[in-house]
Amino acid sequence: MESLDLGRLTENMLAQHRRSERNEKIFGIFRALGPFVGLIALWWGVHAIFDPSPTKLVAPDKVVDAFFESVGEGVLPAYILQSLQRLGFGVIIGVVVGIPVGWLLGLDKEIAKAAEPTLRFFNAVSGIAWLPLLVTWFGFTERTISSIIIYTMIFPVVFNTMVGVRTVPPVLRDAARSMGASWPRIIKDVYVPGSFPSVMTGLRLGIGFGWRALIAGEFVVGGGGLGFFIFDARTAGVIERVMLGMIVLGVLWLMIDRLILRPVEEYTATKWGMVRQ
Amino acid sequence: MAAERAGASATASATLTVDHLSHWFIDQQSGSTVHALDDINLAIQPGEFVTVVGPSGCGKTTLLKILAGFIKPNSGEAKVKGKAITKPGPDRGVVFQELAILPWRNVYRNISHGLEIQKVPKADRDRRVAELIELVGLSGFEKHHPHQLSGGMRQRVAVARTWASNPEIILMDEPFAAVDAMTRQTLQEELNRISVETGKTVFFITHSVEEAVFLGDRVIAMSARPGRVKEAVVVPIPRAERTWQSMSTDPAMAQCVDEVLGLVRGEHEASLVAEGSALEES
Repeated sequence: MESLDLGRLTENMLAQHRRSERNEKIFGIFRALGPFVGLIALWWGVHAIFDPSPTKLVAPDKVVDAFFESVGEGVLPAYILQSLQRLGFGVIIGVVVGIPVGWLLGLDKEIAKAAEPTLRFFNAVSGIAWLPLLVTWFGFTERTISSIIIYTMIFPVVFNTMVGVRTVPPVLRDAARSMGASWPRIIKDVYVPGSFPSVMTGLRLGIGFGWRALIAGEFVVGGGGLGFFIFDARTAGVIERVMLGMIVLGVLWLMIDRLILRPVEEYTATKWGMVRQ
Repeated sequence: MAAERAGASATASATLTVDHLSHWFIDQQSGSTVHALDDINLAIQPGEFVTVVGPSGCGKTTLLKILAGFIKPNSGEAKVKGKAITKPGPDRGVVFQELAILPWRNVYRNISHGLEIQKVPKADRDRRVAELIELVGLSGFEKHHPHQLSGGMRQRVAVARTWASNPEIILMDEPFAAVDAMTRQTLQEELNRISVETGKTVFFITHSVEEAVFLGDRVIAMSARPGRVKEAVVVPIPRAERTWQSMSTDPAMAQCVDEVLGLVRGEHEASLVAEGSALEES
C-alpha cells in the first residue's frame, strides 16, 4: 500500500489554485471590456439605422481611421503629452500646497474651524466658474490653465488630508508619548503613516477633478492639449476627431487610474490594514 | 497605631504613591462639574500587582491617566519613587483599553517601537524583541500585520510593546475587556506569568472582580463618583502558583471574590441611584 503523498497533494492544490487565479484574471478583463463592446455595437447600430450626416455622427471605423491619421501627423501624441504635462505640473503644486494645509487643519482644531466655511465656499465655486476672471487676469496663457487645475484639485487634497490626520486615534499618540516620543517623532511615526491612506484618496480624487478642469481650461485657452484638440476639431467640423478626443480622454484617465493611482491607494490601505480583502 | 506606622514605612519604600489626590473636570456635554476623584491615597510596593475595581464612571481611568502623566490632578500628588509625576515618561508603560498598536507596523516593528524611540542600538533591539515575542508566544508571527492577527494575539502585541521598553511600572486599563472569555483567561494566565517572571510593578484597572482577584496581590475597591479608595483586599495566594484551574477550586479565591463583590455591589447600586437622581435633575 502506498501512503498518502501529502507533498504531492499540496502541490496539486496549489497548481489548481494558481490556475483558477489566472482564469479569474482573464475573466476579469473580459468582464471589464464587455460593456464597451456592447456600447460600440450600439453606436454602430444607431449609425447604420439612422444614417446621420457625417457632420453629426460618424461610424466607429471612421474614428479608428482618425486615430491612425492624427497619430501619423504627430498631433495627437504631442497634444496628449502637453495635457499630461499640464496635469503633472498642477499635481506637483497641488501636493506641495494642499498636503501641508491639510495637515495644519488636521492638527489644529481652531484654525480648521476658522478656515472650513471659506474652504467650502470656494469648493462650491468650481474652477470652471473662475475661467472668465482668470482669462481677464492672465490672458489665454499657461498660467490660466495651471491655476484652474491647482484650484480644482486642492480642495479634495486638503479635506482628505485633514480628515486623515484628524482620524488618527488619539490613543496611538498617547502610547507614543508614554514611550517617551518627542512631537516630531510622533508626527513621523504616528500621524504621517496614519493619515497616508486618506491622503492617497484625496490625491486620487483631486487628480481626477484636475483632469476634468484641465480639459475645460484647454477649451477656452487653447494653445494645444487634448481639450484644444476636441474644440478645434469641432470648429473645423471634423466630427470623428471630436469623438476621438473624447475617447482618448476616457481611456487615458482609465489608464492613469487603474495603472497608477488605484494600485498605490490599495497597496497602502491594504498594507496599513485599513481595508480587508 | 501599629497599622498606621506600617503604612508610613510602606509609603517610604513604595514605587508609586498617591497622596490626597482629588480631581474634577467640566463635562463638555452637560457643562456641569464632575467630581471624579476624592482624596485618593495609595502606596504600591516594588513588584506589587495592584488591581482596581469599581463601578463604571468611578474615575478609575482618570486615576490611571494621572499616573501615566496625561492629566494633571487638581489637588494632591502622584509620585514615582518620591518624584512628582508631571508628564508621561518611559518609567511608566501604559497598556490601553483601545488597542494602541500601529496597524501599519508588523508585529516585530510594533514591539521594537519604544526601543527605537529610546535609540537602543539595532542589535540590542533585535535581541530584546525576540525575547518578548518568545515571552508572549508570538513566535512565527514577527512579519504579520495587526489586521492579520486574532484579537487575543493583538492584545499580546500590545502587552509586549509596553513591556519592551522595560518600564519599572506598568499601567493597564481594562486591556482584556474586548476579547472573548476563553482567550481572556489565557491572556490573564500569561500576564500573571510574565509579571511574575519580570517582577514589574503593575497597576491594573478592571471591572471584572474575578479578573481583579486572579491577577492582584491586592485588590482595591473604589466607590462610585466621586471615586474614593474604599477598601483593599489582599489575595493570600502566591501569584507564582496561580492558574485558572487551581484558582477556580481554591476557597481562598472564592472568599476574596465574595469580599470584593460585596464592596463593589454596594457601590454599583449607589452609582445607579446617583445616575437616577442625575436624570431626575436634568
